[in-house]
Amino acid sequence: MDIIRGISLKTALILIGAVFAMGAYALPSRPEPQRLVNDLAGIFSSRQTAELEKNLVAFDDSTSNQITVVTVNDLEGYAASEYATRIGLDWGVGSEKFDNGIVVLVKPKTAGSYGEVFIAVGYGLEGAVPDAYAKRIIENVMIPHFRNNDYFSGVSDACDMLMKLASGEISEPRESEGDPSAVFVTLFALFIIVCAIIAIIGKNDSGNGGSGGGSGGRRTIYMGPVITGGRNSGGSSFGGGFGGGFGGFGGGSFGGGGAGGRW
Amino acid sequence: MKKGLVTLIVVAVVVLGGFIWIKNVYNRMVTSDEHVQSSWSQVENVYQRRADLIPNLVATVKGYAAHESETLEAVVAARAKATQVTVDPSDLTPEAVAGFNEAQSELSAALGRLLLIQENYPDLKANQNFLELQAQLEGTENRIATERMKFNDAVKAFNTSIRRFPDNIIASVFGFEKKGYFEAKAGADVAPVVEF
Repeated sequence: MDIIRGISLKTALILIGAVFAMGAYALPSRPEPQRLVNDLAGIFSSRQTAELEKNLVAFDDSTSNQITVVTVNDLEGYAASEYATRIGLDWGVGSEKFDNGIVVLVKPKTAGSYGEVFIAVGYGLEGAVPDAYAKRIIENVMIPHFRNNDYFSGVSDACDMLMKLASGEISEPRESEGDPSAVFVTLFALFIIVCAIIAIIGKNDSGNGGSGGGSGGRRTIYMGPVITGGRNSGGSSFGGGFGGGFGGFGGGSFGGGGAGGRW
Repeated sequence: MKKGLVTLIVVAVVVLGGFIWIKNVYNRMVTSDEHVQSSWSQVENVYQRRADLIPNLVATVKGYAAHESETLEAVVAARAKATQVTVDPSDLTPEAVAGFNEAQSELSAALGRLLLIQENYPDLKANQNFLELQAQLEGTENRIATERMKFNDAVKAFNTSIRRFPDNIIASVFGFEKKGYFEAKAGADVAPVVEF
């Protein structure tokens, strides 16, 4: 009885905690499916989003540095620096090994509020993108475009510059957990399963050959696609739209580096 | 004979289960404790980074606004006081953390007043060195905010783990104690008012 009460109390506390946690972090949760361009404010056209995503995914694939662009209409009362850093931490932008993520946060200017922008730089890239460089990119590249309401050029040019800076520091092509090995694993699993089926059927034929053995064999056949299907999705994500697709955020950490600006 | 054997097995299972449970809980607390300590050292690092910027900042301001000596001296004094307050990472009691926090917020307030005087000195405001220092200070303040947040998260996880039943029994046996948070000081979020 006591145990049951203890457990239900614990569950209640966990639930309350979860509610509080949701209240405290009114930040956008990690996108599903994961993507690098998150235009929550709707300032890019779909073609611009796709182009930017393609460039950033290609950069992630070739150097493992992850640059994510997030646009929002409201900072929920956070300072831009805190908002961007928290997104980096919550989503885990960058790899866990190198902490090489960058969050480019843009809050467009509205009639009643300043436009704000912040480039949050992960621990591992603080050397490649010092605060002063981030500040310069914001003041000299982004804000002039933003003043003309050209958000895409500002963000795109800034990303180009960030890519140049970041690739100088960390440039490790992603381990090819992608197509070739995934296909190989699938083929290998198929091969093993086929062998097993042949062995079972062969055994049944030579042995009792009863109906029980037959149905067992059939069950194995049905399980084949299920197993290989699981492997497929676990190995890598074959993104539909752009050849390749984003493999997902890696758990990078942020220490508050970067710079911001407003206009 | 058989009954004795069954009892023996039951006792052995209970003892082994108890040992594994204590071991897991204890090791989890040690890991959590270590995490808090490493977060603390990060906090001290970023505060040190700020303290290192101050002599340059004071020297630059002095060049343009020498007769603001009161504000300048306040910053130097607050810095000296803040760097004196150190906390042993293995003894992060709520009082120790609160003391550290207070000394650092005094320095924050003095720095805030120092940065305000630039409004009266256009030459200072346009000085490249001053602008760079200000940008560095801003970056350092962002890092302080982030490391404080991470430290608070680590302490929260630790404090929760040592207070949860039944783990709290083990925590009290092995002497794990509640650690202190950073609490925002009343009025710390209000920028100092400029008086002319």
